[in-house]
Amino acid sequence: MLLFEIKKVFLKPANKIALVLLAGVLAAACYCAVVSVEYVDEEGETAAGAEAARLLRSKKMEWAGFLTEDVLAEVIRQNAFINASEEYLAQDVRENNKAYAKKQGFSDIRDMINRAFCGFKEYNYYRADSISENEVSSFYANRVFRLKEWLYSEEAQYRYSEEEKQFLIGQYERLEEPLYYEYADGWGALLEFAPSVIMIMVLLLGFPISGIFSNEFQWKSDAVFFSSKHGRDKAVASKVSAGFCIVTGIYWIAVAVYSAVVLGILGTEGAGCAVQMSHWKSFYNINFLEAYLLTIGGGYIGSLFMLTLSMLVSVKTHSPVLSAAIPFLLIFLPSFADSFSVFSDMLGLFPDQLLQMGRALDYFNLYRIGGKIVGAVPVLLGVYGAGYFLMPPILYRMYRKSEVR
Amino acid sequence: MEVTLDNLTKKFGDFTAVDSISLTMTCGVFGLLGVNGAGKTTLMRMLCTLVKPTSGNIYCNGKDIFGMDGEYRNLLGYLPQDFGFYPEFTVKDYLLYISSIKGIRPIVAKKRTRELLAKVGLAQAADKKMKKLSGGMKRRAGIAQAMLNDPKILILDEPTAGLDPNERIRFRNLISELSEDRLVLLSTHIVSDIEYVAKEIWMMKDGKIANKGTLEEILQSMPEKVWICHVPQTGVSALAKKHRISNIRAGHGTAELRIISAEKPCEEAVPAVPVLEDVFLYYFGETGGDEDAVV
Repeated sequence: MLLFEIKKVFLKPANKIALVLLAGVLAAACYCAVVSVEYVDEEGETAAGAEAARLLRSKKMEWAGFLTEDVLAEVIRQNAFINASEEYLAQDVRENNKAYAKKQGFSDIRDMINRAFCGFKEYNYYRADSISENEVSSFYANRVFRLKEWLYSEEAQYRYSEEEKQFLIGQYERLEEPLYYEYADGWGALLEFAPSVIMIMVLLLGFPISGIFSNEFQWKSDAVFFSSKHGRDKAVASKVSAGFCIVTGIYWIAVAVYSAVVLGILGTEGAGCAVQMSHWKSFYNINFLEAYLLTIGGGYIGSLFMLTLSMLVSVKTHSPVLSAAIPFLLIFLPSFADSFSVFSDMLGLFPDQLLQMGRALDYFNLYRIGGKIVGAVPVLLGVYGAGYFLMPPILYRMYRKSEVR
Repeated sequence: MEVTLDNLTKKFGDFTAVDSISLTMTCGVFGLLGVNGAGKTTLMRMLCTLVKPTSGNIYCNGKDIFGMDGEYRNLLGYLPQDFGFYPEFTVKDYLLYISSIKGIRPIVAKKRTRELLAKVGLAQAADKKMKKLSGGMKRRAGIAQAMLNDPKILILDEPTAGLDPNERIRFRNLISELSEDRLVLLSTHIVSDIEYVAKEIWMMKDGKIANKGTLEEILQSMPEKVWICHVPQTGVSALAKKHRISNIRAGHGTAELRIISAEKPCEEAVPAVPVLEDVFLYYFGETGGDEDAVV
């Protein structure tokens, strides 16, 4: 029964097109992720792709290790040395690129120094150029200091209670120091494009999912379906299961292909590095691997939630069109609501956030659950995870009670 | 097998589609005859548990069919008027899928599908997509799906609508063949579909059973007589204004009229044996049903 239900979905020409589009999106995302890693050679030429990643990896791995005061001071020293070179000071871009080629091995560390020494809401690419070797020793302390400075500034002082401020400061202080550094561009690229892959996948999956229930009405096959022995029990359950299997199967196949291609080409090194390497201000103390698991896990829960909601709408309205529009609405309405400040606190809890967990890692939205302060990530996972588990029984009950008029 | 309708009523808002019907059916073919909009489909949908009655009950061997749930549907085979299917499925896959939702084990389903495809003459089209079938072939696939579980109650709603005369005769014979040892309820607005096969005929009008009985009882129930007369073509319109005319056969300058009337309509009129078409016309009028209503 279940296999026929799934076959019914994939035999439909529109759904075949949706799958081909999904394969195209996946290929494009893999390509974009791979070419996002660039390497500048000694002649100032920029290259991208697998070979560039290999060369960049060898440069960056020279700096692999704990970011102690000595390592940070060495970065400042080498950065200053290169800044004084003829290539760096030249007016010619190609010459400047040659100077950058010498910096790219420690460019990630240099970037962290920029962020540590800028104001909490600022970024200055050249800030590291004006830091002395002595000053850089306050690298970790500065991260906490800048947070405190912001929390007690006019902008944020009334936004958080004292307890919430202490929670954030505590999270910052709990970051394990010194940070361990190694090449992690594979994970960076993977995390950067994963939300786009997941969002487009949900939008495209809306098409096959929307028809599982409503096509029976559309094709007028509902009369035979509901008048059959299992038409109001097992056959309905098999439709609910088909929805779950299609979302789960396609989601994890797409995620597996995307991850395998990107990490296979760009490398898996850096999985254990703190996510603060690229999300400097995040108060979630997790590593790249955990951040990626959170991204794809959140994406999975978000996909299940949105697409099951879409099936619920199709049962209620008998309209595959309205049902297929649900993921679009859930993803794009928050962007529209973003322009209204009244929604600012709520936006962090919209289900679209589950599809882009990387963004949620940067948010400072706090919630109190059972007297405990938590960030948006556990709330999103808990609320929508529970929301998903509630929907299939509702879906089952609603559909089995359908009348054929 | 006994199905009883007890004071069955279905209302859609202010409109009463089925109005206090009480009937009992046992084995054999029951013909439900009525014009479009008479309430036949709503009645059948209630019998198939697709729509719940507003009031009244339907019992199968004394048990409420809605309470029996899957147990009742296991006895049921249904071919709806608007027979919908899965366009991309092959005929074989379609029947195997319906078998699965009818609770037939895969190994039995395969055998049953093969047998039924041969019986309805679709063996050669087993691997054809449903959407590629002709109207008649689709109907035959429809009857095959209804028969998959060897139902004790077979409900056929307008099974011959839209079929050409050959297909219609073929279908009628198939229904006769299938009616042994089971209850068949056949709804139609085409008189000839049930004239030869029905054990009992119910004539439905405005949600109520206007008349019921065997073919003979129905024919005898008509209080007026049937006459045949030959008149010049110019005289047809004058007679048509005064009497119900069930048939006109035009000749060279003359016409043979079949007239339903209590009195002799003209001097040369001779009495004729009434047929179901005449009774249909008597109860439902000339505007009853669509153009092929008395084919």
